[in-house]
Amino acid sequence: MEDHGSPVLRRLIDVHAAAVEATHARFGDVTACVQRAHLARVLCFLRDDPECGFEMLVDLCAVDYLEQGRTPRFEVVYHLLSLASGRRLRIRAGVPEDDCTVDSVVELWPAADWMEREVWDLYGIRFDGHPDLRRLLLYEEFEGHPLRKDYPKERRQPIVGPGSAGG
Amino acid sequence: MSERARWLTERERETAEDDFERDLHTEHQVLNMGPSHPATHGTVKFLVELDGESVVDLDVQVGYLHRGFEKECESGSWYQCIPYTDRLNYNSAILANVGFCMAVEKLLELEVPQRGQWLRVLGSELARLSDHLTRCGAACLELQAMTPFLYGIEARELTWDLLEGLCGARVTSNYVRIGGLRHDMPEGFPSWCRETIAKIRGLLRDFDRVVTGNRIFIDRLRGTGALGRDELIAYGVTGPLLRAAGVAHDLRKAEPYLVYDEIDFDIPIGEVGDNYDRYLVCVEEMQQSLRIAEQCLERLEALGPGPVDVADPRVRWPAKGRVFNHMEEMIQQFKAVTEGPRVPAGEAYLAIESANGELGFYLVSDGTERPVKVRCRPPSLINLAPFPQMVRGGLLADLIPTFDFINMIGGECDR
Amino acid sequence: MPGSVIQVKRKENLGLLERLYLPMILKGLAVTTGHFFRNLRGFATGKRRDFVVQYPEERVDHADAFRGMPVLVALDDGEPRCVACGLCEYACPSRCIHIVPGELPDRGIERWPRVFDIDMSRCMFCGLCEEACPEEAIVMSREVEISTYTRKSLVWTKEDLLMAPDLLKRRLDFVRAEYDRTPDLPDGQD
Repeated sequence: MEDHGSPVLRRLIDVHAAAVEATHARFGDVTACVQRAHLARVLCFLRDDPECGFEMLVDLCAVDYLEQGRTPRFEVVYHLLSLASGRRLRIRAGVPEDDCTVDSVVELWPAADWMEREVWDLYGIRFDGHPDLRRLLLYEEFEGHPLRKDYPKERRQPIVGPGSAGG
Repeated sequence: MSERARWLTERERETAEDDFERDLHTEHQVLNMGPSHPATHGTVKFLVELDGESVVDLDVQVGYLHRGFEKECESGSWYQCIPYTDRLNYNSAILANVGFCMAVEKLLELEVPQRGQWLRVLGSELARLSDHLTRCGAACLELQAMTPFLYGIEARELTWDLLEGLCGARVTSNYVRIGGLRHDMPEGFPSWCRETIAKIRGLLRDFDRVVTGNRIFIDRLRGTGALGRDELIAYGVTGPLLRAAGVAHDLRKAEPYLVYDEIDFDIPIGEVGDNYDRYLVCVEEMQQSLRIAEQCLERLEALGPGPVDVADPRVRWPAKGRVFNHMEEMIQQFKAVTEGPRVPAGEAYLAIESANGELGFYLVSDGTERPVKVRCRPPSLINLAPFPQMVRGGLLADLIPTFDFINMIGGECDR
Repeated sequence: MPGSVIQVKRKENLGLLERLYLPMILKGLAVTTGHFFRNLRGFATGKRRDFVVQYPEERVDHADAFRGMPVLVALDDGEPRCVACGLCEYACPSRCIHIVPGELPDRGIERWPRVFDIDMSRCMFCGLCEEACPEEAIVMSREVEISTYTRKSLVWTKEDLLMAPDLLKRRLDFVRAEYDRTPDLPDGQD
């Protein structure tokens, strides 16, 4: 596996060779595609290993590749940052449509709490082990997950609350 | 209590203690703050569990301003996302403009001409200044100090006048374009800008005189809302909040983008990360922003007239003067508008230092004119997540200033 | 890289003046009183330095670059310059423009907007329509006062949008200054 001159990627490949599927460093963004089953273990390693030391989870999001016809359909993307070395690393993992679950990393970084709630809210990807997986931006009565590509932009949802007919 | 108890007789003291120790059967009270509460600028709802006046627990509910930014961006062309980025952080719209356009340029591997880069920095710093002015001014308002708020807002108005002259709108600038800028700065802008900067310095001095030495102000800020650096890092908090806790992390220095590596400025950091440090850091950052803006003006004058955007037909629309008279450019204009730029397939993450912290854009393109994914990493949302930890155990009255220093902007938080 | 990290100065130990409350409050009051008298003098001498504008008697003079609501530029005969090509419709991110093209054979105009509606409740004054227009037919005016009592009347039709070019001179001058801005493209890249 190519390490693209990144010592962090080299270390990751050396230790977790079985977990890493592919790597690239286009536009200078060092990226590793990781198997979903090993995701939490790899992220834990990246945080705790003194050579990596990614103490900050900068961002967590999902991408829906429905229109590109890719399998697995979804992908969760983690952006990590090490303040000490200033290095960044992107970790991607595919998530199939019929089993939309990923292991939660709230234990590793509390920052993941809201980010995972947001991904669940907008993409419908469940995070196993999340202590409180509620919707973040939308309301509980909202049907569907709007950032999925098969969710029509124009779809209207019933208004809930004290002023509506139902409530 | 022991001081006063000495005045009582032995017998009275016993009864008094009994009264204190008897179970009065108090319950925690749950208070609903928001979504439209005058003290929470921005629509956000807190469910505060109170024991008397102290906060026991807190649940933050965001999303009242969710407008589907990412969905809208993913259903239009790359070009059409730019006006939407204005509406993320509406105190410092240009920063989001710059962040998005730079992320697309990263995918396209474009380099903006020097003049364009300096103008982007100038716009960014004016926007950062207006954001910090709002934050510090409103913080005084939360502490019942009305006058400094008005000075802050007056300075912000002056900044927005400048931005209007530069971009065409006070708040929703829509100024930065993929590969450059909408237009160059107007004539006489540097001298106008210098005059305004002098005025803003005067207002900041008055602001400082009114509150910074005031004991009530200091007492209300010192020791409230503090959170240690390790927790802040674990929560992914960036920007002035992290710097106030003593971490000198500023993307303008750590990963210099645009021309920040040629500019002389300092990063202020605090010690303990309470509201007092946050206030001092923001005040110092405003001075630094003014310093940067002055250097930009100097440099722009030295550079002289020149192009502000790249001459790349993939992203720039043809010159209007030629569109009216030449068939070739007319066709090109039609193609440019109806299709928009085709961004090469790939993914890129680009982060800039916005007024609230790291504003990142993660873009995925499949080579067509429509983005697959436009993800905005909103500093407001991520900085708000540890809010319960900051205020737990504190007083209800300190919750509001702490919330202010997080500077949650609804548009960016809820997107 | 020039510049460094600086530590902000916390006041951990307050001085006597600060601990006494009153001196610092008086200092603050001196600042506000100074502002008051300067504003008062400004009123008296006619050189106002307060920031308030007595709207609607007074109006703010916006900068040249200012973008208000989009309007249609009229020709001398009162007809729009627009040729209903639909580029603004394409460029609009909020899809608020609706055009139905038509023909005016008796006046020799092949293409002309029979209907041109802008839904002002959706328009966000971004100016992309103006940038897209190949005819200088739609420009951002300086008008911003578009409030009405009903949502229906926020849909502005062609007749409402038409504006004589002499009213739009400042904007047209601004737009025209940008005509030759983009440098000529290198050969062979068209």
